[in-house]
Amino acid sequence: MWFFRSPQVVFGDEALSYLSSLPIRRAAIITDRYLLGTELPERVRGALPEGAESLAVGDVSAEPPLSEMTAHLEKVRGFSPDWFVAAGGGSSIDTAKILFALYERPDLTVYDITPLVQLGLRTKSRLIAVPTTSGTGSECTWAAVLSEENEKRKHELASPEILPDYAILDPSLVVSLPPEQTRNTAADAVAHAVEAYGSTWHNPFSDAMAEKALELISENIEGVMRDPGGLGPRGQVHIGASMAGLSFSNSQIGLVHALGHSLGATFKLPHGKAVGLLLPYVVDFNYDACPERYDRLNLLIPPKYRGRRLSDSLRSLLGMMGVARSVRDAGVEESAYASSMDTLVTLASESTGMVTNPKDSGSEDLRNIFIKAFDGD
Amino acid sequence: MAGARTARVGPRASPFMIGVRSDAPVEMARFPSEEWTKLYAEKLNANKSYEDAGKNWEGAITFVVQKDSALDKDAFIYLDLYHGKCRDAKFSLTESDLPTPEYKYAGPYGNWRKLINKEIDPIQGLLTGKFKLQGSMMKIMRFTKAAKEMVNTTASVQTEF
Ligand SMILES: [Fe+2]
Repeated sequence: MWFFRSPQVVFGDEALSYLSSLPIRRAAIITDRYLLGTELPERVRGALPEGAESLAVGDVSAEPPLSEMTAHLEKVRGFSPDWFVAAGGGSSIDTAKILFALYERPDLTVYDITPLVQLGLRTKSRLIAVPTTSGTGSECTWAAVLSEENEKRKHELASPEILPDYAILDPSLVVSLPPEQTRNTAADAVAHAVEAYGSTWHNPFSDAMAEKALELISENIEGVMRDPGGLGPRGQVHIGASMAGLSFSNSQIGLVHALGHSLGATFKLPHGKAVGLLLPYVVDFNYDACPERYDRLNLLIPPKYRGRRLSDSLRSLLGMMGVARSVRDAGVEESAYASSMDTLVTLASESTGMVTNPKDSGSEDLRNIFIKAFDGD
Repeated sequence: MAGARTARVGPRASPFMIGVRSDAPVEMARFPSEEWTKLYAEKLNANKSYEDAGKNWEGAITFVVQKDSALDKDAFIYLDLYHGKCRDAKFSLTESDLPTPEYKYAGPYGNWRKLINKEIDPIQGLLTGKFKLQGSMMKIMRFTKAAKEMVNTTASVQTEF
C-alpha cells in the first residue's frame, strides 16, 4: 500500500484569478521579505474575493530560522485567518505550512510536524500556495525545511496534512525572477526529479511525474535563461518544477538533498546552488545501484546535452545554466571546508534522504563524495 | 525472568537446518523468542553499518509484537542501544517485566513477519499504519538510517516463524 498525494493544481495564464472563486473571508498572505516592495502582495490581495480581509506577513527571510516563527505566529493568531495564502519562494511556502499547522494546533511544536503524528488540521483554515519561483516544488509537497541557526542544522519536516489544498501556477509571477534564482531553483527541480526517480520508494505515479518534469525543464530551461521574460518556456519550467515536487513528495529525496542540506546549512549556500552542484557527483556514486533507471532518465535529456551517462548529461545541462561545478566554484574556502568535514558528514548522515537513496551509504561514502565535490572532476 | 519463553530450536526438520553440522552452533531461532532476541543482538553488534549510523544514538527501544491470528500472546523485545551498540537485550511476554524504553515500535505479528522477510519497508510500514511508533519524533527522525539498519539486521538472523 502506498499513496499519491497532490493539491488541486491550477495552472496557466491568469491562474492567480482563481483565488476569487474560493470562499476566502480572511486571508493571511505569507510572502518573502524581498517581495514586499514588489507588486506581488497587491496582486494577490486584488485577486481575493470581494470583501475579503487580508493580513500580510511579509517579512519571511530566505530559509527562515525557527526563531522567526514565533513572531509570525502571534500576528497570525491575532488575525484569525480562514485561509493561508503563501505567495513567494519555497521559504514563504514552507513558513506558511508551519504557521498553518501551529495555528490549527497551538498545542504542537514544529517537531511534531512529522508524518508519524496525526495532526488533525483544517478545523479553522486551509492553505493555498502561489509559487513565485520554479524549483522548490513546495507548493506540491508535504515537506517543509526549517533552519536551526545555532546548530547549523536544517530540520526536514513533513506531514501529509501540510500539503497545500491548492497550488496556483501562474507563469506571470515568475517572469521577473532574477537569473541567479532562476538557475538555483531550476537546478533544485532537476535534483528533485532525479532523486525521486532513483528513490527506493519510487512508484508509477512518482515516476511519471519525475520523467515529465525532467523533460519539461531540460527542454525549456535554455530558453528561459536566454529570454527570461518569455511566458512560454517559463510556464513549462514552472509546471515541470511542480511535477518534480510531486515526484519527490510521493517517493522521497535521496543523498543529493542529504548532502545538500548539510552543505547549505554549514556554508550558508542557497539550497538550489548546493544541491545543483552536488547532483552529478551523487548520480555517479549511485549509478551501479540503478543503471537502468538512470539510463532511462538520460534519454529524456535533449540530445544537445545528452552524454553517455546521466551524470555527463546533467553536467552539461547544469553547466549551460551556470550552476557551479564544484564546492570551490561555489565560493567555499578550502580550509574552512576541511575543518567542517566531520560536521558536514554528521549532518548529512542524519538526513531522511539517507534511507531512500538507491545506494546504501555510510559516513565514509559521504565523506568521499564531499571530498570529490570540492575540486570536481 | 518471569514470562520468558525459549524458542523451539531443537532437531526439528527445517529448511534452515540443511547442511548444518550437528556440533555447529545453532543459529536459528523462532520469532519472537529469547533465543531470537539474543541472536539479533549479536548480529546487531556485528553490523558495522548499524554501528556507523547509530554512533550518536542513546536510548532503548522495545519491539512490541502484537498478537494476531497466528500468535496468541503479545511479546516484547527490549533493546538498550548506545552509541552504535546493543548493550542489553531482553525478551518477555510481560511488558512490565522489562525496563521502560524511550521508544516503542509496535505492530501485529503478521506484519513483523513481513518486515523480517523484507516485504515491508520499516518507515513505509509506519506511514501506512502497519506499525506504530511511540517516543520523541524529533530525535528519531535524525536516525532513520540506523532504524533501517536495525531492520536489515533481522534478515541476518535465521528466523523460524
Ligand atoms: Fe530541494
